[in-house]
Amino acid sequence: MRFHYKWWGLIFVLPAVGFFVAFNVFPMMFGLYLSFTDYDLLSPPIWVGLDNFVNLWSDRLFRQALLNTLVFVAGATVPVWVLSLAAALVFDQTFRGRDWLKAAFFLPVLPPVAVVAVVWRLLLHPNGVVTSLTGGWWGITEIRWLADAVLAPFSMIAVHDWAVIPFFMMIWLAGLAAIPPEFREAAAIDGAGPIRTFWYVDMPQLRSTAVLVAALSSIGAFQTFALQYVLPNDAGGPANSTMVLALLVLKYGFQYFRMGDAAAISVVMFGMIMTVTLAQLWFNRRA
Amino acid sequence: MRKRPVRFLIALALAAVFAFPIWFMASSAFKAEVEIQAIPMHFIPWDFQGWAQFRLAAEIAPMWTYFANSWLYAMCHVVVTVFFGALAGFGFAKYRFPGRTLLFLAVLSTIMVPFQVLVVPLFIEMKAFGWENSYAGLLIPGMMNAFGVFMMRQYASDLPEELLEAARVDGASEFRIFLQIALPLLLPALASLAIIMFIWSWGAFLWPLVIVQDKALNVLSVGLATYTQPYLGQPMWGAAMAASTVATIPIAILFVFFQRYFVKGLTAAAVKG
Repeated sequence: MRFHYKWWGLIFVLPAVGFFVAFNVFPMMFGLYLSFTDYDLLSPPIWVGLDNFVNLWSDRLFRQALLNTLVFVAGATVPVWVLSLAAALVFDQTFRGRDWLKAAFFLPVLPPVAVVAVVWRLLLHPNGVVTSLTGGWWGITEIRWLADAVLAPFSMIAVHDWAVIPFFMMIWLAGLAAIPPEFREAAAIDGAGPIRTFWYVDMPQLRSTAVLVAALSSIGAFQTFALQYVLPNDAGGPANSTMVLALLVLKYGFQYFRMGDAAAISVVMFGMIMTVTLAQLWFNRRA
Repeated sequence: MRKRPVRFLIALALAAVFAFPIWFMASSAFKAEVEIQAIPMHFIPWDFQGWAQFRLAAEIAPMWTYFANSWLYAMCHVVVTVFFGALAGFGFAKYRFPGRTLLFLAVLSTIMVPFQVLVVPLFIEMKAFGWENSYAGLLIPGMMNAFGVFMMRQYASDLPEELLEAARVDGASEFRIFLQIALPLLLPALASLAIIMFIWSWGAFLWPLVIVQDKALNVLSVGLATYTQPYLGQPMWGAAMAASTVATIPIAILFVFFQRYFVKGLTAAAVKG
């Protein structure tokens, strides 16, 4: 029998599919299984059913990490959404020097997150540059941005927002560029001012962009951990005020070797991220 | 072009605030340790140090080894994802074989699972393979990115069917059709994918942190944390800023030379992923 050429398609996709099975699908299933077990890497896993999840709920550190993560997500979504849109509206229209200023504004996207953390660790030194630029006006010479349990979570949010706002501005700009210019011209002829034009002409056209920015920024924030790992003196500190879920996975998994608990937290994280993804799909369908 | 002075001033303020930390990093890499912490800050080094901080950074930790490992890590990800992503994307787009939809959905589902969720089981899998703390464990698991398959399928489905059919009639093998007809036509998309993959993998932090204990295997992102700790009782912020600058330069070069691809690629990745 002749070997039909369509089978070549299968041969072409097999290397990639085989790879994903080995390094994505299998670990996914294995992680789900682990979340129902007690496993310390030494003795074989013991099936405990839903115990890990029940225990998590009474685990104070987990509850704090969950709360910290939710606060971080809120701080990394709402301000980012508003400020990146505002920046996009500034850079959307032509003016002298726009391309250079836009490139300068985009710079925070370039450094890897570890660099962001190291540089801000120095900037946020208690007697450092940021202190002199803010507290200095009132004669304050020391602010413990990263060592104060109340202040530290907000410092994390500020650094994170600084790093991602320019990226989301680019997404808004792409959305704004897709609006046909005739729409705005028609609104101008009808006598609409800039605010009404934005609200009634641009915003409805930007609906899917708005959902996308909200979804991407919150999904990214749920996974945060590098800033919380590098910025404070001890990861997740001070006093666990910056302990987030992804960091707790590392702590339980690779410090305490409680693989079952770590896997259970992973499953919870996955559930939350999945919820955001489904919400995004739902919003887009309604649009 | 209209001048719009108010808009210009707002944009100038925004750009200054957002670019400032990057300027601070790059300029501090050329300052002496005492000058870095000077208040008020010096915008330009008064006591220019040349490459001294970079040499110091390479002295207190194997910075160039980290740098080389980062390159190796990024290049593996770029090459494997671009080639096998294009191959699989082409296969999914242009051939109707049984199980196609199911397999594609399986690939797609892996995009939705964040790596943070996989890190524990994947680590245990690597341990079972004996790949813990080795190049194999560092490089192989993330080498292939599902986004590459997804993106390439989109571009490959736009390739004209007649072209492939004509080559088939001429007796070209399917693999030759892929190599000599599909790949050249997909070149711009492959370039965007390569840039996206480079950016993503260059900054990778979590997996290298977990899988590697040996300093000689560390990537620059993970190695950087070393510099925030005092060395022989002295803070080493100059070295930290020098190493941070070194870690930023490859991406900055990509940005300068491929600015249009860079921004387009990243936005496309966001919109489609």
